[in-house]
Amino acid sequence: MSNNTVKVAMDRDNRGLALSDEKMAIQVKDWNLYYGKSQALKNVTMDLPENRVTAFIGPSGCGKSTLLRCFNRMNDLIDIVSVDGKMLLHGQDMYAKELDVAEIRRRIGMVFQKPNPFPKSIYENVAYGLRLQGVNDKKTLDETVEWALKGAGLWNEAKDRLHENALGMSGGQQQRLCIARAIAIQPEVLLLDEPTSALDPISTLAIEELIFELKKDFTILIVTHNMQQAARVSDYTAFMYMGELVEYTDTDSLFTNPQVKRTEDYITGRYG
Amino acid sequence: MKTWLNKGEHWVWYSAAAAAASVVLVFGLLLMIAFRGLSHFWPHAVYEFQIQPTPSAQIQLVQGEIHNTRMRETRDPENPGFVLREPQILIKTGNRDLYSFDFRWVDQAHIVGQTWNKAQGISVIERYASGNMYGYIQSFKNNQLELTERDQVFKAINAAIREGDKIRSKIRHLEKSVIGGINHDLQTLRYDQRKLEMRDRLTPAIEAEFEAKRQAMHDQFGVLQLQLDGYYKELRALGTVTVRVGDDRDVEVNVSQFVRFWQPNEMHLGNKLSSFFSSVGSFLTDDPRESNTEGGVFPAIVGTLTMVIMMTLFVMPMGVIAAIYMREYAKEGKLLRLIRISINNLAGVPSIVFGIFGLGFFVYVLGYSVDQMFYSHALPNPTFGTPGLLWASLTMALLTLPVVIVATDEGLSRIPRALREGGLALGATKAEVIMRIVLPMTTPAIMTGLILAVARAAGEVAPLMLVGVVKLVTELPVNANAPFIHLDQKFMHLGFHIYDVGFQSPNVEAAQPLVYATSLLLVVLIVSLNLAAIVIRNRLREKYKSLDN
Repeated sequence: MSNNTVKVAMDRDNRGLALSDEKMAIQVKDWNLYYGKSQALKNVTMDLPENRVTAFIGPSGCGKSTLLRCFNRMNDLIDIVSVDGKMLLHGQDMYAKELDVAEIRRRIGMVFQKPNPFPKSIYENVAYGLRLQGVNDKKTLDETVEWALKGAGLWNEAKDRLHENALGMSGGQQQRLCIARAIAIQPEVLLLDEPTSALDPISTLAIEELIFELKKDFTILIVTHNMQQAARVSDYTAFMYMGELVEYTDTDSLFTNPQVKRTEDYITGRYG
Repeated sequence: MKTWLNKGEHWVWYSAAAAAASVVLVFGLLLMIAFRGLSHFWPHAVYEFQIQPTPSAQIQLVQGEIHNTRMRETRDPENPGFVLREPQILIKTGNRDLYSFDFRWVDQAHIVGQTWNKAQGISVIERYASGNMYGYIQSFKNNQLELTERDQVFKAINAAIREGDKIRSKIRHLEKSVIGGINHDLQTLRYDQRKLEMRDRLTPAIEAEFEAKRQAMHDQFGVLQLQLDGYYKELRALGTVTVRVGDDRDVEVNVSQFVRFWQPNEMHLGNKLSSFFSSVGSFLTDDPRESNTEGGVFPAIVGTLTMVIMMTLFVMPMGVIAAIYMREYAKEGKLLRLIRISINNLAGVPSIVFGIFGLGFFVYVLGYSVDQMFYSHALPNPTFGTPGLLWASLTMALLTLPVVIVATDEGLSRIPRALREGGLALGATKAEVIMRIVLPMTTPAIMTGLILAVARAAGEVAPLMLVGVVKLVTELPVNANAPFIHLDQKFMHLGFHIYDVGFQSPNVEAAQPLVYATSLLLVVLIVSLNLAAIVIRNRLREKYKSLDN
C-alpha cells in the first residue's frame, strides 16, 4: 500500500467522525498529577474511543507523555509522583488498590520513543510476554509469534532470522519488533510514545501504515511531536498545553477549524 | 623544539616509556620465575670434581650438578684494605645421608686443574628419603639373582621400581581407604556411644554391644595391619643396588627407596625432554616429601582449588543479592550512600584483619556454638571450633565480597531504564524483570567481579594462615569417604606452601627451585582461572554488544 492510498483511505475514514457517537475505552475524570510539589497535569477530563487512533500533540513539556504513561501506570515507578482523579478502563477503576498493576499493563501495552528490544532473539522478544503469563507450549508460541510479527508488518523480513539476536536489526525494524512484542499479548489498548521520533522517514512511513492497520483490533493512543503525523494517522486529536487539555475533538475539525486560539497558534506554527 | 613541546609529543613518549617499562617488568618477572622454576625439572649434567683443599691434602673425588657460582670476597692478609675475590661454585652433591649436606661451596682454585669433566656413566637416583643420590650403579641383587652387567642391572632395577609402585599403590589404598574407613567407623562408634551416654540411655547391654563391635573392628584392623606388614616386607625384598659414590665408596641402597633414576650425561635431547615432563608431572601429582622440600604439591593444588570454589559458592550469591537490593530496591538516601562508602572501604581493609575476624568470629564464636549444638559428643575435641576449610572459605568470601558487590552494582546501573520499562510494560513484575532481563545482562559485570575475587582469594596467604591452612595434611579436603568434601578439615594452599618451603625449611638451597616452581604454578593457576572467566565474559559481552548505542 503506497503512501497516497493510505492518506486517501485515512482521509475518507476521518470524515464525519464525532466523539459523541463513539464507544469509550478509557475515561479520565479530573486527573491531576504532581511531581513532588509541582503539578504536571491539571484537571484533565477526557474519554478515549475504542478502536480509534487518538493523538496527543503539544509543545515539549506540556504533559502529553506523562498523561500517556498514566494509562499503564508507568508513573508508579517514580517515587515522587502522586496522582488524584479517576481513570476507568471499560468502567473499571485502573487505580483501584486491589488491582494488580501487572494486569493493567498486560491489558494496556506500550511502545516507547526509543526502540528497546531485549538482548534476546527476535522470537524470544515476541514470546516474552506470553512466557511471563506461563505459556510455554511451542505450538501456541510459534503461532502467536507469527501472528504478531505479521501484525507488525515484520514477518517477511524476520521469518528467516527468528533466532538471531534482535539487536542486529535496524532501528525501524526494532521499533516494529517492539510493536509486535506489545500486541503479542493481545492488549486492549496500545500506547505509542513518539514511536517514530528516532526513525528515518521510510521506517516512519512503515509504522504509520501499521498504525492504520492496527486500529481494527486495538485502541491506539499516540503521542507525537509531528503535527503532520497526527493529521495523517489519527481519528481524534487532543492538544495539550502546560499540563492542561486545551482542545480535544476529531482530527479533521481540530486541524481545519480549531476552536481555541492557542490551538490555532500551535498548529499554524506560531509557537511550540 | 618549542612547537614540538607544544604539540605534547613528549607526553606521548613519557606514556609510551611508562607502558613499556611496565610490560618489561611483568614479562621479566614471569620469565624469571618460569626459568628458575622449570630448570629445576631439567636433567642437568653431572660432573666429577677432583678437589684438593690444600696443596698437601689428599685429592677428594666429588660428583654433582653445578648449581650456582659466586665471587667470594676476603680481606687480603698481606695488603690491608684490599679485597681478594675468588670464584666459587656451588655443587649439588646429593647423598645427604652420607655427607649430611647436599650442597657445597667449593673454591674454584681448589679444583685440580681448575676444570671438571662430565662423569661417565653416572646415575642420578631420586629417592623417597634423603634426597637425590649421585653415583655409579654397580650391581643389583635380590633373593633370586645377582646381576653386574650394566644393561641387565638397569632393566632389573626398572622392573623392581614398577613392582614397587604397584605395591605402594596397594599400601596407599589399604592405609587411606580401608584403614581410614575403619578409623572413621571407630570414631563414629565412639560418638554414637557418647551420644547415648549423654542422654543416659547407655545400658550395660548396649555397652557390651558397642564393645563387641569395637572388638570386631580392632580384629579387622589387626588383620589389615598384618597384610600391610606383608606388603612392606615385599617392598623391602625387591632387591638392593650397590652404588659407588665419591672416592670409590660402595653403598647399598634398597630398590624400594628409588623413585626414578637416570643417566643425565648419556641422554640426548628427546630423553631429557621426556625426563623433564615426567618430573613436572610428578611435581603436580605427588605428595610432598622431606618436610615439603621434595616431591610434589598435589595436596596444595587441591586445597587451593577447593577453597576458591567454596569461596565462590559463598560470595557470588551473597554479593549479587546484596547489589540487587542496593540498586533495585533500597531507597536512595544518606543511609544507602553510607553503606556504599563502607563497602568500598571494606575492600581496602588489610587482609590479615579479615583473618583475625575469621578466627575470632567464625572459628571461636560460630565454630564453638556449632560444636556445642551438633558435635557435643566429640568434645573436648573440636570439630568446627578449630580452623578449617569452611571458615577459610567464608573468610575469603568476606574478603572478596566488596569486589563482587561493587562490580555487580555498577553492572546493574548500566542497564538502560528503557529495557526495564519495556519489560514492565509487558506486564512483568519487578522481580520478573530483574530475573529475566536485568540479571542476564549483568552477567558480564558479575563475571568481572568474580575474576577479581578469584584472583585475590587464590593469591592470599596471610588470613588463611589463621583460619585453616597448614604446612602438611595427610588427608585431602575432598576424598572418597562420605560426605566427600570435608568442611571441617585443614588444608594446604600453594601460597602458604611457597612461604613454608622458602622460609621455614631447613634446607634452603634445595628449597629454592621449589619456591620458584610453586610460584610459577600459582601464577599459572590464577591466570588460567582468570582466562577461563574472561573468555566466558567476552562471549556474554558479544551477546549484548550493541546494547550501548
